Amino acid sequence: MGFLPLSFGLPAVLIGLLALPAIWWLLRLTPPRPQEEVFPPLRILARVLKSEETPHQSPWWLTLLRLLMAALIIFALAEPVLNQRETATTSGNALAIVMDNGWASAPDWDVRVATAERLIGDASDAGQPVVLAFTAGRSNAEIGPFDAAIAREHLAAAKPQPVPVNRAAIYARVAQALEALPGANIAVLSDGLASDADEAAFSALLSGNAASLTWVAPTAVSVVGLASSDNPAEALTVTAVRATSDALPRQVTLGGYDNQGRRIAETMASFDAGAAQTVAQFRVPFELRNDFVSVSIDGERQAAAVRLLDENSKRRRVGLISQAETEGAQPLLSPLYYIRRAMEPFSDLVEASDADLSTAIPEILAQRPAMIVMADVGTIPDAARDELIEWLNDGGTLVRFAGSRLAAAGNDDELLPVRLRIGQRALGGTLSWTEPQPVTEFPATGPFSDLAPPSEVTVSRQVLAEPTSDLADLTWANLADGTPLVTGASRGDGTLVLFHITPEATWSNLPISGSFVEMLRRIVQLSRNQGRIDAGADGNKAASLAPYRMISAEGLLVPPGPDARPLSFADGAPAVTIENPPGFYGTDEGFVAHNLLPADAVLTPIVKPQTALPITEATYAFDEAVDLKGPLIALAIALMLLDTLAVLWMGGAFARRSRAATSSMAVLALSLSGLMLASALSPALAQERQTSDDAAIQAISQTRIAYVITGNSSIDNVSRAGLSGLTRYLIDKTALEPGEPAGVDLESDELAFYPLIYWPIDPGAPLPSEQALGHVDAYMRQGGTVLFDTRDQFSTGFDAGSTSPATQRLRQILSAMNVPPLEPVPADHVLTKTFFIMPDFPGRYSGSPLWVEASLDAQRSEDRPVRTGDGVTPIMITANDLAGAWALDASGFPMFPTVPADPMQRVLAYRAGVNIMIYMLTGNYKSDQVHVPALLERLGQ
Amino acid sequence: MARIGEAAAHVASRDALARASQRAALIPDLLVEARRVTNTVISGWHGRRRRGIGENFWQFRPYVEGETMSRIDWRRSARDDHIYVRDQEWEAAHTVWLWADQSPSMLYKSRAAHVSKEARALVLVLALAELLSRGGERIAWPGLTDPMTARNGAERIAARLMHAPDLPARPNLLPPRRFSDIILASDFLDPIEETKEWLDTLAQRGVRAHLIEVADPAEESFPYSGRTEFSDPETGAKLTAGRAETLAEEYRLIYNARREELSAWCRKLGWSYTVNHTDRLASEALAKVHLALSADAGIGAV
Repeated sequence: MGFLPLSFGLPAVLIGLLALPAIWWLLRLTPPRPQEEVFPPLRILARVLKSEETPHQSPWWLTLLRLLMAALIIFALAEPVLNQRETATTSGNALAIVMDNGWASAPDWDVRVATAERLIGDASDAGQPVVLAFTAGRSNAEIGPFDAAIAREHLAAAKPQPVPVNRAAIYARVAQALEALPGANIAVLSDGLASDADEAAFSALLSGNAASLTWVAPTAVSVVGLASSDNPAEALTVTAVRATSDALPRQVTLGGYDNQGRRIAETMASFDAGAAQTVAQFRVPFELRNDFVSVSIDGERQAAAVRLLDENSKRRRVGLISQAETEGAQPLLSPLYYIRRAMEPFSDLVEASDADLSTAIPEILAQRPAMIVMADVGTIPDAARDELIEWLNDGGTLVRFAGSRLAAAGNDDELLPVRLRIGQRALGGTLSWTEPQPVTEFPATGPFSDLAPPSEVTVSRQVLAEPTSDLADLTWANLADGTPLVTGASRGDGTLVLFHITPEATWSNLPISGSFVEMLRRIVQLSRNQGRIDAGADGNKAASLAPYRMISAEGLLVPPGPDARPLSFADGAPAVTIENPPGFYGTDEGFVAHNLLPADAVLTPIVKPQTALPITEATYAFDEAVDLKGPLIALAIALMLLDTLAVLWMGGAFARRSRAATSSMAVLALSLSGLMLASALSPALAQERQTSDDAAIQAISQTRIAYVITGNSSIDNVSRAGLSGLTRYLIDKTALEPGEPAGVDLESDELAFYPLIYWPIDPGAPLPSEQALGHVDAYMRQGGTVLFDTRDQFSTGFDAGSTSPATQRLRQILSAMNVPPLEPVPADHVLTKTFFIMPDFPGRYSGSPLWVEASLDAQRSEDRPVRTGDGVTPIMITANDLAGAWALDASGFPMFPTVPADPMQRVLAYRAGVNIMIYMLTGNYKSDQVHVPALLERLGQ
Repeated sequence: MARIGEAAAHVASRDALARASQRAALIPDLLVEARRVTNTVISGWHGRRRRGIGENFWQFRPYVEGETMSRIDWRRSARDDHIYVRDQEWEAAHTVWLWADQSPSMLYKSRAAHVSKEARALVLVLALAELLSRGGERIAWPGLTDPMTARNGAERIAARLMHAPDLPARPNLLPPRRFSDIILASDFLDPIEETKEWLDTLAQRGVRAHLIEVADPAEESFPYSGRTEFSDPETGAKLTAGRAETLAEEYRLIYNARREELSAWCRKLGWSYTVNHTDRLASEALAKVHLALSADAGIGAV
């Protein structure tokens, strides 16, 4: 089979093909069995048939079909395999798979898993234990040794991680594990990229008592990562890097995404031939660039191709400066209290340790804050003043609040946006005609233009700006009388903002309104951090940030997984590890980007370690070996079906139908035999359901008395005629008009539709199944009543212990049910009074008591003719053959004489039936109704 | 695949006891059915309505001189001055021989048919027996009974059939005399020359025969297909056809040709030939045979 990539597991079986000629010879001799038919006019047929020769041999095509079938089975038994792969080295007595699952392995993870699977399969065939470790996994993950099945589970559970590989730690663990397994084959499934400590890691791994090394590396590393980004004035620039071995010119597309994941810009980056680094530029307006949250490379499904940008939403450092003495003692009057509460959620607050401005301002400026809030600071000492102005001109945002000190301090052109009048203005005071002023719409030119004006805010005191020609341009918020509430001006690259009120609620209620928070947040968003701080410089500031959005191994922003830990800056710049995967840390108010690749990242290809061990090299590939045994046997079975069809056809199974129908039938039967069965069954089921629904609707549309079909037709006829007679009597005498009596089959019919089921006991009938008795039991417990009639009042023997067969059968039936304690109907039972007053309940025979559930807790009182008690007896037993007395023939005459033949006894039997039926439907209602005359009498009627 | 045809009841074993019980079970049913079928026909079959020799009163007529005195009805004549003679209704007894084929081939019943050919033939014959005996005809079964006149002729024949020993495959056709009728119900599947030779004795002696061919629909339409092995219930001979459906056309041709020839031969002799299929009603054939029986012998003759 050189022309096909086909090999056989058991080539010896192919010798069986030699038997084919013998099979052919046998098949030729065996014609299909004819259909045998008796045919009287044979002699006439004989004349016709003379001319035709009778085929004693199978047709050639049938023989061919069967030969093919035999050949297929022989081939299948020889275990043919298409595309047989080479078996990996199974030398050694253990297998250690060390698999890179860092970010670079994410794009072709499936083929890596397939390769590892194959190695595990080989190990499983050889019965070797497997050590399976992942270099980007948790450092305390279980690595084995496992048996093959568990190793497969671990492999299936493993995922690529969006972090760099940590070969050194994992290799050391594997080496440790291999100390107990000398002579192992170590399979290194690398992602093709070198890491820092590779050399040491490999020497640690291979220095043990390993037997061989299987080196699996990708043929080419084609990942592209984004190493750094910068946002200068003209464009957002992103640096893309690729593996240094990747030398061909290449172009990639980059997309910029906002915080909703919408693509808002895209650009191209071109790698020149041999270049491992290139810079892409997003030339989009500054406002749009501010919305960028991430930049990613199209078509790269890995974490390094995503660069997160946190410039816009990075948490700003805000310095707070106050001169008030009341800090702590009266917190609600502290000038900074409301500012602190408002800004804490979205910014890092920096406060000076010293109240002295000349030391406090430099101390805060040393933290390089984006913004400084000064609460009612009057004069700024010269020592700090220049430094502050310099910071402001370099891009700082200074927010000042007015207050008595500021009002008294006088003008300061450099650190106030507008000229102020000396003093302050009070509105709505005791000596004033004016009212406290509300805030109007925010001016369209200011940064608050899209905020809703706070309608509930009033200002009762403020500092006033000198009216100048440019005052309107500098005003960010106005009072209703047109005086400015917030003014702002730019100073160099920075912004200077003045609130003309105090930061606490004495001058205005603005600081305790929601708008205050919104306004401060807007100002914070305008500010820019002034450089990165040294984390070590400020211990208390190094709070850890909770994971907010993580980059998955596929390069998507996802919610943080269980492994992600808060990002801590305590020990310098945090590294990208499995605990701190790349992503955003913080909250949606402000977050920090934690990016995978450092700015100086270089992707160098991994170098195969120098070792004395024998090395088998392999590449990642899917296992394409196809075991042909199953398909061949399936084909043989299909041919067998075809052969059956052909034999049927030759036997004339289809010939009575038309030719066209025959061929279509054959095709159908061939392809859809299973389907046909299923589809043929489902309508039948639907049909069945339909009819049972109809029966149920019929059963509940009228009140009907039911009887049990015993299977003995004479008893069933009497039951039916009896219940018909009772029904007729009920219609004549009472308001109840039942429908035709219904026969129920205990095994299959639903019983719940009937209030009363009459069950004549037939000793000859088979005992109902346990399931049927269970149905009856459930019916009785759910409120139905079964009237058992043994019809043996006069057939019981005379001695006390004797029982008739019917009674014995009744005992058998009842032994399978939960029967309550019974008693003969007592004289004051409600059954005796439901319609007629009945002392006893005769049927064809009289004398047998009617047994009902004993009313144990019934209350009796002397003045009540009927005992009270709840519920309806679920069971009644009589031997009087009620149905026999009720039964009428077609002409309306009784079918059976009563014993003794007393016409009154029949009337009493009907009355008993009426009482029972009314009792069924009304329960103990009558036990109350018997008092109606007395009640009416008492009411004075 | 289910077979198309089968032998309804195996009589081939010829076990006497089994046969008797079989007959006992079969014939009363047939008798009832025969009576039912008869009732639908009998409206056209009332007496001779003629004066003649018979048992039933027909009319009183005035005495004509020369008649024998013994015919005078004195009771009637005493009422007035005329003398009356009591006339009886003419009940010319006619002998009709009946015979139904009971050979194994008659047991054949295909899926399309309601009854086996034997059952149909017996029903037809017993129904005719019922009809004829009600009409006062003398009926007989060749080889089984002599001609008899009885109201319960059909029951008698049935009873005799039930207890009969094995009857020959073909009856002795010598007893029927000239002017008598014979009704033969069979499938007439034997080669036509044999049938003709067998019936020729009747023709020679001037017996008028009424042939009822009881045919199964499967025999006529030949619905077989595929590889089929046919076996003859009488001889046990077997024939295997590779593709039975290819034979159908030719077979039907020969089958129908046989019927045509037999029918033509009967017509020539003045006999009637009726075909009854077992998937059709028995009363159809009964009506036809009845018509042929009551028709004048001379009309049918060519």
